[in-house]
Amino acid sequence: MNLDSALHTYIAESRELLEEMEHKLLHLEHEQDKQEHLNAIFRAAHTIKGSAGLFGLDDIVHFTHGVESLLDTLRNGSMEMNAQLTQLLLACRDHIGDLVEHMAQGNTSASDDHRVCGADLTRQLQQYGVGAHADDNNGLLPAARADASQPVIERLEAGCVENDNWHISLRFGPDLLRNGMDPMSFLRYLGSIGNIVSITTLDDAIPPADAMDPESCYLGFEISFSSDANKQTIQDAFEFVREDSHVRILPPRSRIADYIDLIQALPEEDMRLGDILVRCGSLTGTELNEALRIQESLRALEMNRPLGNIVVEGGMTSQPVLDAAIEKQSRVRENKTRENHSVRVDADKLDHLINLIGELVISSAGSAMRARTSGDAALIESFSTLTRLVEEVRDSTLCLRMVQIGSTFNRFQRVVRDISAELGKEIELVITGAETELDKTVVEKISDPLMHLVRNSIDHGIEPMDVRRAAGKPAAGILRLNAYHDSGSIVIEVSDDGAGLDRIRILQKAIERGLVSADQSLSDQEICNLIFEPGFSTAETVTNLSGRGVGMDVVRRNITALRGTVELDTKPGQGTTFRVRMPLTLAIIDGFQVGVEKSSYVVPLDMVLECVELNEADSGNAAERDYINLRGEVLPFIRMRDLFAVRGQPPRRENVVVVQYGGNKAGLVVDQLLGEFQTVIKPLGKIFSHVRGISGSTILGNGEVALIIDVPDLVQHVSTLEYQAARARA
Amino acid sequence: MTRTSMLATTNGATARRAHPQDSQYLTFLLRNEMFAIGILNVKEILEYGMLTSVPMMPEFIRGVINLRGSVVPVVDLGARFGGKPCDIGKRTCIVIMEVSSDDGQQDIGVVVDSVSAVLDIPASDVEPAPAFGARIRADFIDAMGKIDGKFVIILNVGKVLSVDELAMLGQVSETAQAG
Repeated sequence: MNLDSALHTYIAESRELLEEMEHKLLHLEHEQDKQEHLNAIFRAAHTIKGSAGLFGLDDIVHFTHGVESLLDTLRNGSMEMNAQLTQLLLACRDHIGDLVEHMAQGNTSASDDHRVCGADLTRQLQQYGVGAHADDNNGLLPAARADASQPVIERLEAGCVENDNWHISLRFGPDLLRNGMDPMSFLRYLGSIGNIVSITTLDDAIPPADAMDPESCYLGFEISFSSDANKQTIQDAFEFVREDSHVRILPPRSRIADYIDLIQALPEEDMRLGDILVRCGSLTGTELNEALRIQESLRALEMNRPLGNIVVEGGMTSQPVLDAAIEKQSRVRENKTRENHSVRVDADKLDHLINLIGELVISSAGSAMRARTSGDAALIESFSTLTRLVEEVRDSTLCLRMVQIGSTFNRFQRVVRDISAELGKEIELVITGAETELDKTVVEKISDPLMHLVRNSIDHGIEPMDVRRAAGKPAAGILRLNAYHDSGSIVIEVSDDGAGLDRIRILQKAIERGLVSADQSLSDQEICNLIFEPGFSTAETVTNLSGRGVGMDVVRRNITALRGTVELDTKPGQGTTFRVRMPLTLAIIDGFQVGVEKSSYVVPLDMVLECVELNEADSGNAAERDYINLRGEVLPFIRMRDLFAVRGQPPRRENVVVVQYGGNKAGLVVDQLLGEFQTVIKPLGKIFSHVRGISGSTILGNGEVALIIDVPDLVQHVSTLEYQAARARA
Repeated sequence: MTRTSMLATTNGATARRAHPQDSQYLTFLLRNEMFAIGILNVKEILEYGMLTSVPMMPEFIRGVINLRGSVVPVVDLGARFGGKPCDIGKRTCIVIMEVSSDDGQQDIGVVVDSVSAVLDIPASDVEPAPAFGARIRADFIDAMGKIDGKFVIILNVGKVLSVDELAMLGQVSETAQAG
């Protein structure tokens, strides 16, 4: 039996639950409504355990059981939550996470290391008076203990069957086997939470051999089950098949009416079912007869009335109880619709779709161009509709990949907690702008650099407590993570309220390391930026966290590789802010196409400010000097022809594309302006990894390749060239 | 077998050529000299055109083309072998080859003056490469094949189109330009 696909679902789900558990644990201390959070944590642990049982992952079941017991004690209020407990529970969460990952790698049982670690944690759990009853065959669940009194209340004096066992009716859906489930595993799991008194297998649904599909499941079971577990626990066993299978669970000593209900609801013939129920020992013969008699009379009474009414009128239950039941039902249904709002999709499928959309954008741009040259008005019209639709499809496809940055930020709660504890600092993490959305690929790639920045701020930014007190600041430092959108890019800020950067020390260090010469005069900003240079580290001692001098330059390199920038603001005594600016998506940009001789280049549209003509007076003036007067402002420009060493005469009229990036302005002198257009970015490959000023390529409507200009890099390159040339002349 | 191991000792670069059944070769002309490459490396042959040059790159990297939606770099073999770049004529072709690099397979186009034929060269007609005298770098030569009594250089595609080396040379020319 292949459980693989279900196991993958389980692992993915467990990861999510563990993440939620961590998040809730971290917030528990500050939360008003602790009960709600504890319940959520308990539920997470419980689901992980329950599902693990389905797959026979005994190590997870055993360990999580102990954790669950502790959580249950906390939930009952018989123990107060404190910092040590949080620490222990976090450690337990990590251990469960390790176990799950271990399983994800295809192992079915834990390694010895895991066992040792697990046993250690279990011992700690036991100190809190709750044991992991891992070997307890009764499998008495904490939930069952809490709710053990419930069935007693539900019992009614009259009309009950004489039976202390649960009755479970199972009709598996035909797709059970195809979905990777094994009927046996459910029975096995039932066996772990109670005792199967008797079981009858129903094979009525199996068609004649030639019509039978061996991949379909036709089986049903009637089970008499003795257990102290509550209904929820038993129901949870069938969590995965609830959707397409019929599972009915009758508590011990249920009313005969419930059995009637059951008999009516099941597809098999009434009499035969009755027999089975008797055989299971759930009903006695007399009870069955009575049930059938009642059923008959009910049927005679009135066919059309809803069952609820019949039940109420029959005096079987009171109106409020029924209302409560109905309300509960609808609530469950609501929950379910909410769950259905999100669909889990394989990221590869999404990437493939986005690639296809990319091709679609390119070819529709090509077709639209052909249509324009044809001059056929109707064709142009229909293509413009098509283009608009394609644009919408593109936008909504890209939205599919947009995720909120909040989950990335929340991961740092734990980091901040752990590291600050390790360093003996008290640090509060304040998160704002968590709902800011950005491309999933960007999120994945940004989290490592962010981690570096956060660690750096905790380690170097925020001072030790005594230093802070001496400086008249509150002992607890504040680390802020903030995100917001800003003109086609996302800005992520990591700021601390620490001492700020010590410029003198940075300069000293840089001179010591030979990064700058002692006689160079640098602006404050330039000095600060030195910390991004390779091999620079100001921490006096190399700590576990940072200080090996690989941090900041790697951060900058990684961010630059994503077409992003990183800058910093620092105020002595008040703190430092790192500002990371990233494009929203890495796949498609709006571009402005320009022509130089025969080649086309694309400038990212969000950098283009305006286009002006390079008039001859300017051009003449500018033969020696590369700047023009733009409405009283000095605008330096780059002659693309010269830079790219294009042969041939420049046209009579040249144009200047005014671009802006990070607060600076510059002009690019090009031959022609070809207009806006959307482009799918195609990487240029490793061979071109060292080309300056070009960030990628794209395919134009006519099939030609155009290069995308990386404006900041291009300008930097030109200024380096000029600096070197000037020095060579001097 | 002995010959193969001998090849491996005389020229470490020929370790790739350990399959004697690889005996079909594509031959092409470059400055009137015939070269051969193992047919398994060749993906397709295109007419020269629609090439976008990439500025600030060494001469032997002609530019990039659009190969059904993916951008493929094109190398000029004439310039790569240290001579002048190919003149574009009526029979100029781009041969798309598959090269394995650290990041998996990569397609690279090669400009040649004209493509001749696909030929069978039996293993008995394949000789080890001379240590010098071919006027191109010895490690570019995989072996010498005999066709109609004449020697043809069988190129070591992995070396000639080594992605790492091409990238490094690009960087070198970059710094040379800057300096």
